[in-house]
Amino acid sequence: MVATFLSNWSLASRQPIDKWSASTVVLCCFLLGPVAALLLTAFGDSGGLWTHLVDTVLGTYVVNTLALMGGVGVVAVLFGVSAAWVISRYDFTGRNILEWMLLLPAAIPAYIIGYCYTDFFEYAGPLQTALRTAFGWQTPRDYYFPEIRSLGGAMLVMASVLYPYIYMVTRIAFRLTPASLFEIALVHNKSQFWHVGLPLARPAIVAGLALVMMEVVSDFGTVEYFAVPTITLGIFNVWLGMNNLVAAAQISSVGFLFILGLLGLELYARSRQQYVSTSRTQNSPAALPTTPVGKLVCWLVCLVPLLFGFFIPLGVLLRFVLRGDLAADFLAIQPIVTNSVMVAIAAAIVIMLIASLIVLTAAFRAGPKLRKLALMSSTGYAFPGTILAIGVLIYAGYIDHGLRFLSGGMISSFLIASMGLLLLAYVVRFQAVGYGAMLSGVRRLPKNLMSASRVLGHGYVASLRQVILPLLKSSFLAGLMLVFVDIMKELPMTLLLRPFDFETLATYTYQFAKDEMLEQAALPALMIVLTGLIPVILMSAMLRRYR
Amino acid sequence: MRVTGIENGFRNRLRNSFANSPVILRWLMAGCVAVCLWLPVQAFAGGTINIYSHRQQILIQPFLDEFTKATGIQTKVVYASKGLAQRLQAEGAASPADVILTVDIARLAEYANLDLLASVESAVLTANIPAHLRASDNRWFGLSERARIVVTARDRVPADAIQRIEDLADAEWQQRICTRPGSHVYNRALMASLIAAHGAEAAQSWAEKLVANLARKPQGNDRAQAKAIFQGICDVAIMNSYYYGNMKFNDDAEQRSWADAIRLVFTNQADRGNHINISGGGVAKHSRNKQQAVAFLEFLTGEVAQQLYGTVNYEYPVNPAVAPPAELASWGPFKRDKLPIERLAELAPQAQMIIDRVGW
Repeated sequence: MVATFLSNWSLASRQPIDKWSASTVVLCCFLLGPVAALLLTAFGDSGGLWTHLVDTVLGTYVVNTLALMGGVGVVAVLFGVSAAWVISRYDFTGRNILEWMLLLPAAIPAYIIGYCYTDFFEYAGPLQTALRTAFGWQTPRDYYFPEIRSLGGAMLVMASVLYPYIYMVTRIAFRLTPASLFEIALVHNKSQFWHVGLPLARPAIVAGLALVMMEVVSDFGTVEYFAVPTITLGIFNVWLGMNNLVAAAQISSVGFLFILGLLGLELYARSRQQYVSTSRTQNSPAALPTTPVGKLVCWLVCLVPLLFGFFIPLGVLLRFVLRGDLAADFLAIQPIVTNSVMVAIAAAIVIMLIASLIVLTAAFRAGPKLRKLALMSSTGYAFPGTILAIGVLIYAGYIDHGLRFLSGGMISSFLIASMGLLLLAYVVRFQAVGYGAMLSGVRRLPKNLMSASRVLGHGYVASLRQVILPLLKSSFLAGLMLVFVDIMKELPMTLLLRPFDFETLATYTYQFAKDEMLEQAALPALMIVLTGLIPVILMSAMLRRYR
Repeated sequence: MRVTGIENGFRNRLRNSFANSPVILRWLMAGCVAVCLWLPVQAFAGGTINIYSHRQQILIQPFLDEFTKATGIQTKVVYASKGLAQRLQAEGAASPADVILTVDIARLAEYANLDLLASVESAVLTANIPAHLRASDNRWFGLSERARIVVTARDRVPADAIQRIEDLADAEWQQRICTRPGSHVYNRALMASLIAAHGAEAAQSWAEKLVANLARKPQGNDRAQAKAIFQGICDVAIMNSYYYGNMKFNDDAEQRSWADAIRLVFTNQADRGNHINISGGGVAKHSRNKQQAVAFLEFLTGEVAQQLYGTVNYEYPVNPAVAPPAELASWGPFKRDKLPIERLAELAPQAQMIIDRVGW
């Protein structure tokens, strides 16, 4: 079947098959398996449930989801792009530290920050208690305080931990924008940000934003805790409340197609634009000096996202951790820390290698069709984790069944009930993160670089190794770091697909957090954050070398 | 000659490309091999049972420890709150799972509907569990009772102000009730019990009035509702009874004060009795250790484990021969709704539709 597909593919695109594109096509199709399994499930009979949904809750789900996407998108872009701009363009005290600190919120899982914020902002929390003491208020009826468990609260909380996706890639884009272009803006008395920086960083910003949007659409933990009825909440109500997995798969698929549509729109919108820089990357612009007021603005721009995304949640976690018996608690979770780190490192490396292969082949070896397939293969991110995990299960079931048949029963289970299942799920979901990082790196390379190298007599592999790959090191590391941190935090798929007696920090935290036992959940949650910090710091140091 | 030349060229190119080897591919293969070597081997030893649990591991560990102590049989657990039925289904005959444990009837029924459970003939289980708390075809069994009760503010609501769950629809409680979202599995089951008692139409009208009486948008878990009463946000809430025990004996002084602020009301004592749900279990259809799996379920309905449900998580024993621990007994005896528990699962989709319609 694959062979037929391949030959059709090549006929259609009139491109000779080489082993690079062939292996990429096979790999992409393999990764699309779980998504296909879900789409197939969606073709089942949902028993007329849609009429009921349209009549009752679907409108609310859609409106809330769109509002959440819009709100998180705006705030995350605001945080991410402004911070990336001041960090890469201005010279101010503390810039070197803030540059990597701004990545820290990425290490905090959205479901944990939800608990932390509720604890901090709610009636019995430290903020309102302090306000009551200060102003002598007695009951909640004496004053107005915004409800944190609301749509607005969810927007703030999610944007605060998701903006690093945008910050990370945008900062690299700003840095790699040739100085000469900024000089042109200066000469013409135009804004360097609006007329040069922003338009040229658009692919990077969109790549980051796409991840943020997919994260928002697929989030379950935060919206459930904040009681914001989004599509994802609806999916679970239909699946678990009405025992209708088919309808749940249908709603997920609609959300998935919606994201695909958005991506398509953006690709179309910039299809006639070229993002090619011919100057050497070393020629990046010098940082601008700042006035004292300017310094203050720079600090504010960097510290506000950090405050919301890192310091407040960290403070809440620390408050709980310091109440307990630190040494004993830590000893208890030490093996779990090892589990988490091992899984995350192994999976992150595999994912980045796969993403690199796909991106490089799509960019340098293949036509537009394969490029589209490559993009498609990273869309698993748009499904809620648990739903994607079910896609992975169905798919792995087929594979194992096939293997059992082919091997005449010799292999009874290959993927099922092994670590391979979890790894497959991670790859399918987080390939998007690696893909985004590598793609924005490749996009910044001059198109003629590869051609030049080939014309000068190097083969494809040699060109890759000697010319392209060294230039993509920073993108690779950036992707590796994001994927590592993402897997450290990942909850729903790990929970469902893990082997027996296997705990990661995320699953261990969850069994307490689920019952709002924050005291017990705080230490493992803090460990997720701390283990996330190590690669952030390490790789930022490495990234600085590749500036 | 020419042909050989082309062949040689091709071969050379092939060899070169392998020698030059795509760096990425080489790394990728090495990575995959490394991961495969690290796959943990699943234990199928006779002395071990594998459990898929919807109850957190911290809450079942005491039971597992006692079971291993009593029988020498080891246990392994995967805990997840959703999707385990689909996992079991995808695994099919190759599944390593022996026992399923859930915390409500809806999930238990889902396994039964997907035909994932084995029918178990056990005189011990039939004797220990009342008929309305187990499947008529012996595929699943209730292991503990969880009462969904009403709690009221001790200082603001008179002791006998609420007698029946139906009373929550009274206009008297306008802006005074807090609950978690209606589509949570506990509220869905409660809704189903009202459909069973009064029919769908009356149940929906009750739900409409309840929603109109809410003091705030439904949010948080049951514990958060007690906290809201303590804070004065509302006066009445719906809660599973065990949350009270968990708060009353919490390490955190704050939570103890939430428990102090509320009074427990067992509803419908003069008519059908208080709505209850079960935590339960069954034996996986393709289990390779059926005998041990049944032994485990039997152990869970015996004296030791039934007591543990009360002491670990303040849930009521299903076994009528086992008296609840002193703390539970001090909350008072109460009449339970004897509705066959599977009706709750059958009516759940209908209940969810009502919840969608009234926006609970």
